[in-house]
Amino acid sequence: MATNNTILQVSELKTYFFTRLGVVRAVDGVSFGLRQGECLCLVGESGCGKTATALSILRLVDSPPGQIVGGEIKYHNENLLRSTGARLRQIRGNRIAMIFQDPQSSLNPVLTVGEQIMEPIRLHLKLGHRQARDKALSLMKQVGIPQSAERMAYFPHQLSGGMKQRVMIAAALSCNPEILIADEPTTALDTTIKAQILDIFRELKQQMNMSILFITHDLGTVAGIADRIIVMYGGRIAEAGSTLDIFDQPKHPYTWGLLNCLPTIAERREKLSPIPGMIPSLIDPPEGCIFHPRCQWRMSVCQQAKPPEYVILGEHIAACYLYQKAPASAGL
Amino acid sequence: MRRITEVFGGRRNLLFSGLLLALLFILLLDLFFVHHIFSPFVYFYLCFALVIVFYGIYPLYVSRRLTRYYWDRTKRHHLAVIGLVFIIFLVAVAIFGPFLTQDPTKVDFPNKNLPPVGFSAEQSTYDRTTGQFITRETPGTWLHPLGTDDKGRDMLAMLVSGTRISLQVGLMATLIAIFIGLILGVVSAYLGGWADNALMRFTDIMMTFPFFLLLVFIVFIFGPSLWFIILAIGLTGWTGTARLVRSESLSLRTRDFIMASKSLGASDRRIVFHHLIPNVLSSVIVIATLSIPGVILAEAALSFIGLGDPTVTSWGLVLQAGQRSLETAWWIAVEPGIMLFLTVLAFNFLGDGVRDAFDPRSQV
Repeated sequence: MATNNTILQVSELKTYFFTRLGVVRAVDGVSFGLRQGECLCLVGESGCGKTATALSILRLVDSPPGQIVGGEIKYHNENLLRSTGARLRQIRGNRIAMIFQDPQSSLNPVLTVGEQIMEPIRLHLKLGHRQARDKALSLMKQVGIPQSAERMAYFPHQLSGGMKQRVMIAAALSCNPEILIADEPTTALDTTIKAQILDIFRELKQQMNMSILFITHDLGTVAGIADRIIVMYGGRIAEAGSTLDIFDQPKHPYTWGLLNCLPTIAERREKLSPIPGMIPSLIDPPEGCIFHPRCQWRMSVCQQAKPPEYVILGEHIAACYLYQKAPASAGL
Repeated sequence: MRRITEVFGGRRNLLFSGLLLALLFILLLDLFFVHHIFSPFVYFYLCFALVIVFYGIYPLYVSRRLTRYYWDRTKRHHLAVIGLVFIIFLVAVAIFGPFLTQDPTKVDFPNKNLPPVGFSAEQSTYDRTTGQFITRETPGTWLHPLGTDDKGRDMLAMLVSGTRISLQVGLMATLIAIFIGLILGVVSAYLGGWADNALMRFTDIMMTFPFFLLLVFIVFIFGPSLWFIILAIGLTGWTGTARLVRSESLSLRTRDFIMASKSLGASDRRIVFHHLIPNVLSSVIVIATLSIPGVILAEAALSFIGLGDPTVTSWGLVLQAGQRSLETAWWIAVEPGIMLFLTVLAFNFLGDGVRDAFDPRSQV
């Protein structure tokens, strides 16, 4: 359902890793659209293909072993999978920026923080040293780094984890990108810092109308920031819908499992109930629905063919045979 | 103008390339039109100085904070500071010394085998009038503070000249070796795949060459010129550096900050020169300081076995000359030996200190 304010449309994306043990189908036919000014969350366990999806968008999948074997990634009207290296470098950091999980290792230890924020500014905006410096200063203020003039000359090891993540965000924001891909930006941070960083994202969305693709394994983090949620499992979309749909009327058994894992303050549970079983190997995935070995509601059909994405209501879709009677989705 | 600057990657590179081109121009003039504007070594020195100023002193000055940080860390290592002071002293001696001392090649038989100041030695001379050998006690004089050798050449002048030769060989051969090793290592790691394989197998082949035998061979074929010795040591000594730089770059390549700067639109060239090389530079500096003494010793050893450049007075040459008269004039062999010993020690101390300073795990 590509509406006209969709700025990034991913269709049938397939990213495989060709390893010695076999082909890992990290992303196996994922489609979604990202609209202007919305925050779309990709949620799933580790190894479900969230990061591979994000890296595929920027064409940063390491090759070898990784390779994007199929699909289309349309940014405005340009298929990024067909873009040249030079064009991609113009887009990266300038139109689509990315923030990585671990701020400790995402900053170059031998360059000052200022230099690293200024890098994309100088690469894309072609500003002189002085202007780039001024811009970097204002960015650091924007993401809430106190004493920014002094901190410009700091090296990453002199900053705390939260400050480093702010630096990463400042670098990513430096060219006013249309799309910000945040790959688990809060995972390595402690809870109070996490809340502060999430506030920054919320502000970005509201004030700058930026589109954010937020990747996390933590449904709790998602709730406060997401407009829409895509739940991924085994390289495929399990369920997608608005935040309200996912939290209030989850349809996919996997989503049920995820939500059951969340601790709540309201009810007192002795034990959190994890989803039984393990994440399947993506080299040799189970036949049919990839979730069926762990699913309590599995039917015989689940073991034979991969379920299509059924439309529950509007944008709410679920890839599960429980909703066979619903019409098949034409793609989100 | 701005476009040109961008192609070169900044004003500094532009200026550097410009000066290098100017030097090349003078070299071409030298070769084809006016002969001997500078001696060949001067070109090398100027190149060396340009590299040092633009990529050594300038960045140190720009990031004064970092310089200060590393200096503070090195300072804690007292031996390293002593080593550094001694090396600076050696460099000063090598640059200015030869202008202040006597000609190291001037033979003066009447004053042969004079001991250093403060020592005296017994010397037998043949007295023509009596036709007998007379044994005399000869004290050292301030005219030759470190004594003279068996041909009456001034030891001080020879040692000063030897300092220049040893530092020349040590610095230049190491510079060549480090440069080749750094580029090969980083490129090999960054490209990966068959390029990595080819480069590393080439390194293996170079490593299996017995280095000293190769040196002897080269000297035998091309003649004992200091140039060939420097080139031979430089062109064979890069293998360890290449290996180390490669292994370090391999682990750096997978670090998130490389991916992060890619995601911000950095090109491959920028990643190699702006992110990979600065990160391996600290270990390269350490290898460089630690390999200089080895090179100096290699040159001395070559001179000692008589394969050095006979036209220059190097420490090894003096040492070799001295071992013949060890019983009568011990200082001829001992003095260059002490110089070699101190120099090698100073570089090793400095290397150790620098390594500790650059090692982020040794947070003090």
